[in-house]
Order: sequence, then structure tokens, then C-alpha cells
Amino acid sequence: MKVKNGILKGELKVKNGKLIKCTLEIKDGRIKSIKLTGDFFMHPEEKIEELEERLIGIKFDKEKLENIIFKFFEEVEIIGASKEDFVEVIIKAR
Amino acid sequence: MRFRLIIDGYRNAYENMAIDEALLFYGRPTIRFYKWRPSAISIGYFQSMKEEVNLEECRKQGVDVVRRITGGGAVYHDEHGEITYSFVCPKNMLPEKILDSYKLICSSIAYGLHFLGLEAKHAGINDIVVNNKKISGSAQTRRHGNVLQHGTVLLKVDVRKMFSLLKVGKEKISDKAIKNIEERVTSIEKEIGRVKEEEVIGAIKRGFEEEMGIKFHEEGLTKKEMELAEKLRGKYESKEWNFKR
Repeated sequence: MKVKNGILKGELKVKNGKLIKCTLEIKDGRIKSIKLTGDFFMHPEEKIEELEERLIGIKFDKEKLENIIFKFFEEVEIIGASKEDFVEVIIKAR
Repeated sequence: MRFRLIIDGYRNAYENMAIDEALLFYGRPTIRFYKWRPSAISIGYFQSMKEEVNLEECRKQGVDVVRRITGGGAVYHDEHGEITYSFVCPKNMLPEKILDSYKLICSSIAYGLHFLGLEAKHAGINDIVVNNKKISGSAQTRRHGNVLQHGTVLLKVDVRKMFSLLKVGKEKISDKAIKNIEERVTSIEKEIGRVKEEEVIGAIKRGFEEEMGIKFHEEGLTKKEMELAEKLRGKYESKEWNFKR
């Protein structure tokens, strides 16, 4: 969903879980900037910034998002949402 | 299990968060009870300050804002409306799974609240409810081989004030919406009338003693913890930290 100046936003309330929000910019089909915020839990916390960095520059495509996000959550624990939810909220933002 | 009990009273938001982080670093088994002056909003590690908090209204009402090192949601810590606790110990003293350790700590608090006559129980991931209404929320992190869980127990609640400080859609501040939230959130005062803070702390403490077999001795922060907290306070006061997301 477009908000303004090319900034896209998406929200996902996970059933029996928490809320994830995504703020996104896409340029020439690639992720230019991305922020994943919300009231979920991730351990260790500061890994979220690493995930966002890994997503910058990639082609906006479900399979590519899944590759990166699923791999990321092999080493990071998430509570109140799932790895699939993170893919979904990014897709929703577009 | 021997735990240190710290009854800490009022501090500001930055000191409170710095002390919790210092306790986590050293990992000495501890339960600290504390309060917030001035009143403050704390947001979860992953939240956006600008998206969650009505900063102008906070400034007007003299309410501080701070980002926690723990995840979870935005919380309004009213100077007179709640008791906050932090629970710290080495990881190996708690269940390995984070959800199981939430359950153990939250059930102990819920059990303690029974001594006040409240039908409290652990619900969801990190809540305590009375008659299906939320009375307490908590958040946990693990670092340096240690665990920190901090959370609040509501003594009284003013949903309208809380909403004026948080960024919620206009439709959510309608009388109907406020009534709706009031039906989902409760406080000790709402359930059983006013209870002295010492009594609430005493009940929660007893909950930990009987559920987890903890033996308490009252003691303050160590010199090392105070020094580290003093250093960390700068981070919690900084724009870089509070507005980083």
C-alpha cells in the first residue's frame, strides 16, 4: 500500500501473536530501503538490523525474500510471529 | 534458590532501563521492584518511536519516552498507576525455552496475586489476566548467558490518558473504542479496590517463594552495577538509541 513519496507500508496482525509492520521503498524492482517494526520478540534483538541490511538491494520477488528470511531465522529465534509472517508483511507492503 | 530483593522506589525512565541492563550484564539472581517518575512511555526494541508515540502530547504532559532492550509493545508507566518488576538470573536457572520461562515467571506472579484475592493467571505469551482482562505484561531478553524479564502490574489504569500519549488511530479514541479497551484491560484497583503498594509487592514476592522456591534477602545494587548503570544511562537518554527505529 502506497503512503507517499514512494514509501510503501504494510501491517500484519498475527493470529494469537503480535503485530508486524513494514516500511518499504522499491527502486527499479529492487528493495531500496526497508524497516520491520512491531511488538514481536526476536532473540538476539539487534539481529533485526542485520536482516534489513541483507534485504536491501535484492530483487522484489517472493522466492528471493523467502530465501533470505528463512535462512535468517535458522539462527534467530522469533516469538509472536513466524518466518512466513515476515515474508507476508513485506509482500503486503507492496 | 537465593535471590536478592531490591525495593527501589522511584527513578526516571533512563535510570530504570540502565539499571535493568546492568543487572542483566552481571546476572546476579535478583528481583527488583520499581516505579517511574516522571511517568514515561517505554517502547519495545523493534518499535518505531515516531509511529508509536505521540511525542508532542508526551512533551506537554511531561512524560518521558525510552526504548527498551526488550521486544514487545509500547507501555505507559504511570507514576501512580503501576508497579514494575525486573527478574534477572543466569540462563541455566530457568527453562531453556523462552516461552517456558515466560510461563514460569508469569505464573509465579499470577499465583502471588491470588493472595490479594485476584483470580489471576498467565495468558498468551507474556500476559497475566484477571477474568480475561489484562492486568500485567512482560518482556524478556537473554544476553551474556543471563536472562532479564521485566514487566508491569497495573494498580490503576486511565485508558483515555494512555491513548492520548500513544499514536492510535482517531477511530480508536472514540468513546466506544475506549470502552472496548476498558473491557479488555483491568487493574488491581478496579478489581478489588485500592491496595497498598507494599501489599502488592509482598504478594508477588510470596508467589515467587512458593511457586519457584526462591528465598529472598533484601539488598541494594552493587557498586559495579551502579557504575555500569551510570554509563548506560547516557544511551537511554540519547536520540540515537530512542529514535533508532
